[in-house]
Amino acid sequence: MPLAFLIPVFSFAACPLIILFQRWLPLRGAPLAILAIAGGFVVWILATVGFLAASADHPACDVSPITHALTCHFTTTWFDAGVPSEIITDSIHLNWGMLIDPLTIVLLGLITFVALGVQLYSLEYMKGDPRFGWYYAWQALFVAAMLTLALADNFLLLYIAWELVGLCSYLLIGFWFENPGPREAAKKAFVVTRIGDVGLLVGILLLWVNVGSFSMTEAFAAAASGQLSDGVITASAILLLLGAMGKSAQFPFHVWLPDAMEGPTPVSALIHAATMVIAGVYLVARAYPIFAASPEALMVVASIGLVTALGAATIALVSTDLKRILAYSTVSHLGLMMLSLGALGWTAAVFHLMAHGFAKALLFLGAGSVMHGVGAHGDVDIRRVGGLRRAMPLTAAAFSIGALSLGGIPILSGFWSKDEILLAVSHNLPVIFIVLTMLTVFLSALYMARAMFVVFFGTQGEDSHHAHESPILMTGVLSILAVLAIGFGWIAFNWPGAFDGFGTFVFYDHAEGFHFNVVLGVLSILLAVGAFALAWLVYVRRTLSIQSWRARFAPVLRVVENRYYVDETYQWVIDRVVLTVSAALAFFDRAVVNDVGINGPADVVRKAGIALRLHVTGHVYTYALVVALGVIALAIFWWLRSV
Amino acid sequence: MMANFDQVSLLLLVLVPLAGAVLTMFLPKDRPRDAWQFAIFVAAISFVISVVVFLRYDYAAAGVQFQREYAWIGHPLNISLHLGLNGIGAPLVLLNGIVLLGAVLISQTITRRTRDFFVLLLALGAGVYGVFIVRDLFFLFFFYELAVLPMYLLIGVWGSSTDFGTFLRTKEYGAMKLMLVLVAGSVLIWIGILALYVASSQAGEPTFNIDKLAQLQQNGAVSRITELWVFPLFAVGFGILAGLWPFHTWSPDGHVAAPTGVSMLHAGVLMKLGAFGIIQVGMLLTPQGAEVWMPVLIGLGTVNVIYGAISALSQNDLKYVIGYSSVSHMGYVLMGIATLHPVGLAGAVLQMFSHGIMTALMFAMVGAIYERAHIRDSFILNGLIKRMGTTTFFFAIAGLASLGLPGLSGFIAEFMVFTGAFRTYLPLAVLGVIGAAITAVYILRLLARSFFGEADPQWEHLTDASPVEKGVGGAFVVILIAVGVWPAPLLNVINTGVASALSVF
Repeated sequence: MPLAFLIPVFSFAACPLIILFQRWLPLRGAPLAILAIAGGFVVWILATVGFLAASADHPACDVSPITHALTCHFTTTWFDAGVPSEIITDSIHLNWGMLIDPLTIVLLGLITFVALGVQLYSLEYMKGDPRFGWYYAWQALFVAAMLTLALADNFLLLYIAWELVGLCSYLLIGFWFENPGPREAAKKAFVVTRIGDVGLLVGILLLWVNVGSFSMTEAFAAAASGQLSDGVITASAILLLLGAMGKSAQFPFHVWLPDAMEGPTPVSALIHAATMVIAGVYLVARAYPIFAASPEALMVVASIGLVTALGAATIALVSTDLKRILAYSTVSHLGLMMLSLGALGWTAAVFHLMAHGFAKALLFLGAGSVMHGVGAHGDVDIRRVGGLRRAMPLTAAAFSIGALSLGGIPILSGFWSKDEILLAVSHNLPVIFIVLTMLTVFLSALYMARAMFVVFFGTQGEDSHHAHESPILMTGVLSILAVLAIGFGWIAFNWPGAFDGFGTFVFYDHAEGFHFNVVLGVLSILLAVGAFALAWLVYVRRTLSIQSWRARFAPVLRVVENRYYVDETYQWVIDRVVLTVSAALAFFDRAVVNDVGINGPADVVRKAGIALRLHVTGHVYTYALVVALGVIALAIFWWLRSV
Repeated sequence: MMANFDQVSLLLLVLVPLAGAVLTMFLPKDRPRDAWQFAIFVAAISFVISVVVFLRYDYAAAGVQFQREYAWIGHPLNISLHLGLNGIGAPLVLLNGIVLLGAVLISQTITRRTRDFFVLLLALGAGVYGVFIVRDLFFLFFFYELAVLPMYLLIGVWGSSTDFGTFLRTKEYGAMKLMLVLVAGSVLIWIGILALYVASSQAGEPTFNIDKLAQLQQNGAVSRITELWVFPLFAVGFGILAGLWPFHTWSPDGHVAAPTGVSMLHAGVLMKLGAFGIIQVGMLLTPQGAEVWMPVLIGLGTVNVIYGAISALSQNDLKYVIGYSSVSHMGYVLMGIATLHPVGLAGAVLQMFSHGIMTALMFAMVGAIYERAHIRDSFILNGLIKRMGTTTFFFAIAGLASLGLPGLSGFIAEFMVFTGAFRTYLPLAVLGVIGAAITAVYILRLLARSFFGEADPQWEHLTDASPVEKGVGGAFVVILIAVGVWPAPLLNVINTGVASALSVF
């Protein structure tokens, strides 16, 4: 377990090696990145075994008084700023540190596993790309930073990893930077998340000012013990949440994620579905002692989550690009996780994070397989493909499993995790929340069904004539993820004699067994199955027409299709406010500060010189007159003084 | 042997580049390459000395080390060349060693009056070293002027004029403005120095020695009233060189006119002299004044940060972008100083080092582009990555350091400044964090606009950085990453300097 730091270190080492030596390495160094993450996966298994065997007797471990979960700590000095002395007490001491608890363990598992799958898949998907080596270099850097984020035991290290995953996201979204789409999308992603990160950094510093340390454990202890005032707790929770909203694409910072689909599809699967975008959810889950101490903050988390989940689900329903549907679906599900955290459903949120991670990676890689199969390198308009199940049976099967799972069809993973969320929401939040959550669940099933039926079933589309199944490496990865999308949810239950269920391993405050509320369960099954049946009738059997509905709700539809005009609003603010102010200031600087403030005095001196030189007349009588006047003046002066 | 070296190391720091400058004058006029190579030789020696000096500085012992005093004018002026290095000067000496060598190497492209160029460049380097290692106000002023004056000729003779359509910036204007504004600052500093000398005379111990003056101040020999009016003189006088708003416009205009190597020194080390002066003279000798005036200074520093960043957002010329970016980043230095907080002040010193490397790297890469494309308009340049991949890579890393990306040196420094400012002036610190976000916007816009994007046929002829440029760029990138990941070697030294700088309060 102390060697868990190796999990990210392998990949950190792979990145510069690939950059420097890609020219001479086989496959441009891709195997190096894959070996690194495979090594990380192996170390994760060893660390997990070590963690499961460890107890509070372990010198580095104890049972956290706040989460009541076994928590292990490994640190080594990084740097000091300011020397502690008698006069100066306010110095900081920073560590490289790992905090390993059940949450870290499951997250590391998700990241290493999905990253390994995605990097194998990319061998085929990115084949022939002129920057193949760079792709793997950035992938390795991303994985390393993401793993560091999950392991970090202090806020500064977390922030560093947080920014680095953002950088890799920027580099990989803009991977095909020759095209304006990826270039702009990359910039947008970085800037929007950076705005959230201002909040995060301010929050971290605010905690430091009040706690005197960047250690998470100390900050949580201070929050739980009542050492911090309510105002500080709520303020820092909201500030941390701002960072989380940027990374996890919560309203109103969600705009970058759909655009991020301009990146290569495996990148979308890894970064923008399974790992980086969950960092925000992870942050709230990790900093839960702070959030839990502030009911106001929890309410904000829940509300943001709900608004995001519902709004994104409606957009997903009317989008026509396959990857964007999946992107809005991701936004919506991240919203559900936030909602769950706000509703005290901590375990449910983490569980859904895992289940969604596997299912969404599967869906994106499936979409990538479709793009590979039909030869598209960008958008896949679902109206132009169809009936792909004949040409791409494996992809179709895998994608459908992912869609059914995420749509909440029983016994698949997504059903169990979603059900836990519904339970938490119905227990701890006002009734309006559960109603709207149910609606979101229904929409979620409906858009998944729509995507699945239109692309793989129904009539053959114009772009799908030359479709072919993807290579074995790609479909192999899809199959493994499909197995997880079916079966991962089953680890929630209590399997007598083997395992007590997810909630007894990953929990906040107290271990929880698996709950199942019959009313909610039946209701959610009805909604999910109903949605799939409805989509079947509309898109496959075509016995139901939605044209009249579309006509009746045309104005509403237009608003939703235009994504509620959020992007346009931002664009307007940037063009009309930010750039105008900036241009005005730049002009002010040149015309006023410089030309008046700096050149002005210089001009005064110059003009004064021109004026004053007139007294140098060159005539002897002028000088004689001045001398005479001077003598008289001096004489008067002395005379006055002597009197 | 090392102990003997310590006796003379500081003197050598100044003498080597000065002697190099004098010797360069005697090189044959018609062999510019010889002058360049000789200048490299000199700069490399001074770089090695600066590294040794930095490593030999014993941070556990702290205080002023390697002290040597050479008496010059006796009573009543009591001026002596008193050399000594403290924990704030040490990293800056190292910085000057690095940037001077880089600037000389990059100046390979100077073909006109090459010999004279390197004479002035080395003299400038000597002046900068002098300021960082001298313990006597008279000589501090002398070296300060020695560092500033060559700029006038370096820009005026080897610079370039640019027509921006709506306005014209000639190299003569840039050089003249830089000179006059900085000299105006010098006047304020000189008045301040004389006031302190007068105060020491009145106490019966006339001196220009910094440590003796500090001792007199601690004993109450300088009246509070004197400190109250002298500190602003130092803060503004030195502040002008640090790009203090609203006296900053000499800096971007100076950059636009200056040749690459000069820009590197200008933003890389010259602006740091100003910040160093505020710490080493203003804070140390007039602490009571500093305490009263620091809220004003941190306010102005915050204006620097935000104002510089927003101005940079609307600049089209690559050098203007970096020039305003420097104004913005020096704002963090001023903020850090004004916190009077150990972490904030240490952050300010680290930011000086980090910004010096980062901005020198940016100017080196922009110089490489200008050399080949003969244009710096970011709207006309595009798709540079295709032909100038390495240049783009280096520029992007410098840009990321500038927007405070963790893992690169700028982040640690800015983070420490924020930490200090959060303890002392919370609302301004929040503005500082926002400034870092604005930096991200203009850096990324610039990268997207000029460097990424479709390759333009008109830039097909461009060639990537030369081996020398790649070497300098690569070395600077390694430093940025090394300091970002492992700042402890620098911080250990800086911390001791900061502790003694704050002990007078």
